[in-house]
Order: sequence, then structure tokens, then C-alpha cells
Amino acid sequence: MKMFRKHVGSISRISTQLQRGPPTVGSIAGLSTEAEAAPKQERVDEKITEFRTAITNPGGHSPLQIAKFYTIPAEEKKRIFGGGGLPKQYELQIKTFTEACLMVRSPALELLQYIKQADLSKPVVRYVLYGENGVGKSLTMAHVLHYGALHDFLLVHVPWAPNWMKRPKETANATGQEGFIDLPFDAAAWLVHFKTQNAQLLQKLQLKTSKDYVWSKRESTPTGSLLTELVEHGIARIKYASETIAAVISELKQLSTAGQCKVMVAIDGFNAFFHPETRIFSDNKQRVTPDRITLTQPFLNITNYDWTNGVCILSVDKIAMTEGYMESYMPRYLLGKDGFEHLDPFVPVHVDNYTDKEFTNYISYYVDRFWITKTAPDLEDQLKFMSNKNPYTLMQLVRGL
Amino acid sequence: MSANLTRWLERSLHNCHATQSRTALRLFSGQQQQQQQQQQEVEEDEEFRVLNLRAVKKQVAARREIKRDPVPPPRSNRMAVDQDWTAAWPGPRSFHPASVPLPLRQGYTERGAAAPSKFANAELMKIPNFLHLTPPAIRQQCEAIKQFCTPWPKGLETEEKCKHHFPVEVVTTDFCHSLPTIRNPEARRVTVSLKLSELKFDAHAKDKFLRLVGERYNQETDVLTIVADRCPMRKQNYDYALYLLTACYHESFITEPWEETKSEADMEVYHFERNKAKLSAEAILNWNEAAGETKVAPSQGYAKSVEQLINEGENEYNIAKYKKEVLKMLNIPVAN
Repeated sequence: MKMFRKHVGSISRISTQLQRGPPTVGSIAGLSTEAEAAPKQERVDEKITEFRTAITNPGGHSPLQIAKFYTIPAEEKKRIFGGGGLPKQYELQIKTFTEACLMVRSPALELLQYIKQADLSKPVVRYVLYGENGVGKSLTMAHVLHYGALHDFLLVHVPWAPNWMKRPKETANATGQEGFIDLPFDAAAWLVHFKTQNAQLLQKLQLKTSKDYVWSKRESTPTGSLLTELVEHGIARIKYASETIAAVISELKQLSTAGQCKVMVAIDGFNAFFHPETRIFSDNKQRVTPDRITLTQPFLNITNYDWTNGVCILSVDKIAMTEGYMESYMPRYLLGKDGFEHLDPFVPVHVDNYTDKEFTNYISYYVDRFWITKTAPDLEDQLKFMSNKNPYTLMQLVRGL
Repeated sequence: MSANLTRWLERSLHNCHATQSRTALRLFSGQQQQQQQQQQEVEEDEEFRVLNLRAVKKQVAARREIKRDPVPPPRSNRMAVDQDWTAAWPGPRSFHPASVPLPLRQGYTERGAAAPSKFANAELMKIPNFLHLTPPAIRQQCEAIKQFCTPWPKGLETEEKCKHHFPVEVVTTDFCHSLPTIRNPEARRVTVSLKLSELKFDAHAKDKFLRLVGERYNQETDVLTIVADRCPMRKQNYDYALYLLTACYHESFITEPWEETKSEADMEVYHFERNKAKLSAEAILNWNEAAGETKVAPSQGYAKSVEQLINEGENEYNIAKYKKEVLKMLNIPVAN
């Protein structure tokens, strides 16, 4: 159990870096990092500048707020992104700046607009975020996820799917299905993540299971038990975590189709499910394909179009693939034939580099945080030239030594 | 004894009485006579040959004077200004300075100096000249062959009309050499080319025809080229090429029983109708419809955009088009 806690601590992108558990914002305030010794209270008051917006609810964002920063309240950030969802580097930046700021950008606004106006009685629409490395696909997803969390969507969120294929905590042969591989720790960690994200909403909705789940001779989950109980069981009995996920997800599909809840599916690095191979070896020392992993099936199931009252936001990423499969960032290439057929018809949403306005605002933000000082008069132009307005490159350029 | 004999011999030689003494010796003993003969041969050989290092000069015969005619002044000097040039230079020939009344210069010299003149100028002889193909010469020759020409057929005035009435183009090559044989193995080669748009196909036949002809079809120019050189005679090769064309064309209209087993993986292009994309789109559009009602089919625009995306490959334009069509089909309002 102790070992399990250690593993469950975090399922963020680079899990080895985050063994110590998710950084809580409360503790961050105490950590007076480097040059950030200025008192926090002052900052909170002078929030409204030309590059900030006071609207912290993504539902209120409109094109007026484009290129402006909004702050995710600390407790919401902890609840939604506690188990991952923000890239590691960005998490570090948040910790340094002692505030979780996200920029309102057009891809996220576009998605929010689709979601707000969507007819939820129709089959679920799949939105696929695509773009070059480091343009902000994950943060766009985080923005939408924040919206979902505040607007009574049950979140089915996989912070970084390739983690399961590339660096699983433990592998075991699946008990139920012959020739399949279980990732019990990862599955349980996901259940914990699901529980933390949706605890309040599950409490409120009191969702019930529709059928009996018999795990073993002595253990079973009867019809009509709460969904929370099912999740709890999966967390407590790691052995059955993968099967529990399958059960939870099929229950969610039924419940949302029945109109009892709304579900937002957000999977980052979705194309990992269609990668030709994983880094997991089977008993006969052969690489396993992603479709032989028990965790793949439920998430492919929920991204299918055969349910309603939900929305799917998926991202396809070059770095979800491995060497030799990273030529293009286009969705058809990354998803492959099967993946494309699985998702088709989907709405591709292109995430691009910063616009000039976004870039200027980001520099202003860094200056405001005393992260860079504008000593050289053409510093902004230099940074623009060096980074090509790519968000990740900009962050790397101005990062601490 | 021999010493005495030698001395005696010398004396007798000196007195020129050799004959006499020899007879006496012969009387003396037969053995001695042999020795004497040998002695005589050695003496004759002792006369050395002379090695004359300085060869004696023979009397050199006086060289015959070659009588050369004086070089006449260049012919071009005497040419009339209005002469018939076609008569002066009737056929292809390498440059000849005295025959060309032009002050030509050609070649490399030091800087500033004039280029070498046309006389004894190898540069001018190396390069091909067209002095035999002056416009009057061509006009003259055209006039001469006019009597053998027939009028141009009516209805074939333009290149397009020719192409339309005679779509098949046959190319053969004749070779002329100064050889004992007039045959050239390359002359048997026949190239038949044809624009494929001239033939009438249905979708299946076209696909099959293209598979049959393989690389003989150029997709960019839409031209089919059949080269035949397997038979020894040109006529045979021509017949074979036309046979191939005819056979492939008719064969392509035949559907064999095994062709029905063509699966999706064998398809050369993506067809919306055959793929899962159509099923998914139909299922989404007809969600919650009763079984009996008429099904809504996905729009043509969507089908086209999917086909374009897969067949042409991905780019920003195709993706944007696909997105637009999906949004339209799924009835999602778009912000402006």
C-alpha cells in the first residue's frame, strides 16, 4: 500500500520528476523562490492590467479577452490539475510565479464556443487539437478542462496517454482477457485522478451503476451502488483497477446517454493509442501493441460516437510517437489509418504559435513577474526572432539558469 | 726437331721455294705435312678487318626540284557581286577560305590583336557551317520538289485536328550509313503512343487497363507508350504493338471472378463509399431515427473532402476544408 501511494502521487507527463506528489499552491506561497521574494498580497490586488483579465471563469471568456491572462484559483487548480494536466515546465513556472495563469487563446475560445453551442442530444463530437511541438495544445486543453469542471461536466481526463505505453509503472498479464496486458498502478492512479477531479459532482449527482460487477468470488459491486463506490473499489483493489476503468467508462456512457450527467473527455496524446508499438514487453519478450493493453479499450470506447450528452477533446502530438513516426504533426499522419477511421468525422482544431499581440503580452507578463527585465531595448525583438513566437521555445529561452 | 724445321721453313719461304720444300717435306713424313698446312691457315687469318668509324660519305644525289605552280589568288576575288551563290556552294562542305567572299575572322589571339583571318584557319573549318542552306537555296530546292507534292488533306489544317483524327502516333527510325549492309538492328524498333483520353473506359476497365499496362502509362501526360522490338522486322513489331494495345483494351472490360475479392487494402485510392467514414457519418446523422425512416446520407462535400484529405495527403488547406465540411455536416455553428 505504501508503494502504491508513492506511485499514485502523480500521473503527470514526467512522472519520475514528480515522485514527491503534486505541488499544492498553499505550500508554494511558503516556498520563497529565487527572486520572487516580493509579498504575495500586493500582486493579487493589482491583477487588472492591460494583459490580464479578471474573468476567472472560462465560460465568460470571449474574443475580447484574447491574448489576456486569467488566473485559475488555487483550489480549482489543485482539484483539476492535481494529478497532471499541465506540462511539467509550465507547472514549474506556475510554482515560480506563485499563480496559475493561462492565456486566453483563440483555439481554446473556438472550442469553448463549439461546446457552448453544441446540441448535446446529438452523438458526441470529437475535437482534435493538433499543431507543432510546444504551441500550447495541452494548455488549450487545460483551459477547456477548466471550463468543463466549472460547468458540471464529469471529467474523463488522461493527462498524457503515452505514459502508459512508454513508461508504465508495472505490467501484469490481464486476468480477464487472454493475451492482454494490465497496467494496474497506472489504472489505479487514473482512478484517483478521476475521483479528485469529480468528487464534488459525483457527490451531487449520486450516479448509480446499472449492472452487477463480479470481481471475484467474494468481491462484487451490485446493481444500484454508487459510481463512487465502484471507483473506490478499483483504487483499493489495484488488481481490478483496469477492469474498473472499463466498467466506470461504460457506466458513464450509459448515464450520459440517459441524460443523467454530462461528460467531458479530454485525452492528451491520444495518438499513442494507435502507435504501432509500445515499450511494454509481453511474456515471450515481444513488444506489445497498444490494442493489447487493457487500458486502451475503455478510452477508445468513450471516444466513439455512439453516446450523447458529452464532448471529446483529444490532442494528437508528435512527441506521443517514437522515433521514425514523427515526420508530421498532421492528425491523419499521427493517428494512422485506424485512428482516423475511429475518430472520423472529427473537428480538427489547429493550435499555432503566438500572434504578435500574444507574444507582446507574454513578454509583459514575464516583465511583470520580474522574470525578465527589459534592459536591452530590443530584447523583445530578439526573443521573437529566437523563439519564432513558439510558446515553448520562448519559455525555454527565458528560463532560469 | 720441330724448331729446326720451322727455321728451315721460314728460310725456304723467304727464298720463294715453297713448292720445292713442301715436296721434300712430303718425303720426310706425312705427319709433318699436316702441321704445316695448319700453320699456313693461321697466318692468313691474322690479317684484321678494318673498323672504319668514320663512314665514308657517299655522293649525295642532287634533290630533284619539285616544280610548284604559283598559288593563284583566291577565287573569291574574282566572284561577281551578283553571282549565283547556290552554284558556288551547292552542298554541305567544310569551310574553304578562298571560296567564301566574306571577310571572316575567328580564333583566339593576344589581347588587343585582331582575330586570325579566314586563310589557314582551322577554327573556321572545325565548326559546321550552313553556307549551303541560305534562304535562296532553300527556296530553290522547295520550288524544285514542289512538282512531287500533293495537296494537304482537308480537315487536317491544325495540329489538334490531326491529333483528333489520328490519335495513335507511331515512331520508327531509319538509319543511313556508308556500310556494306543497309540494315540496322535499331530500325526494327516501333514506338506506339496514344493519349489515354482517346479511349473510352468505365471505372473498372480503366483501373484494370492501367494495371495491365503498368509503367507504360505516364500519369502526368496521360500518354500510353508501347515499345516493341522483340521481332526482327519492323512490320512484325508494329503489328505486335497494335495487337498489345487492342488486347489490353478488350481484356480490361472483362471482369474475372477473382476480382470480386479485392479488399480495401488492395484499393489504389481511397473511396468514401467503401470506407468506415461513410458508416460513421451515416450513424451520426441518423442518430435516434427509427428504422423505417429514410436515412440521411452524408453530404457530397464531406465525402469529397475526406477523399481529398486521404488521397492528396494532408496539408493545411485540405484539413481546413475537411474541418469546414465536418462542421457543416454536424451542424455546429461557426464563429466568424
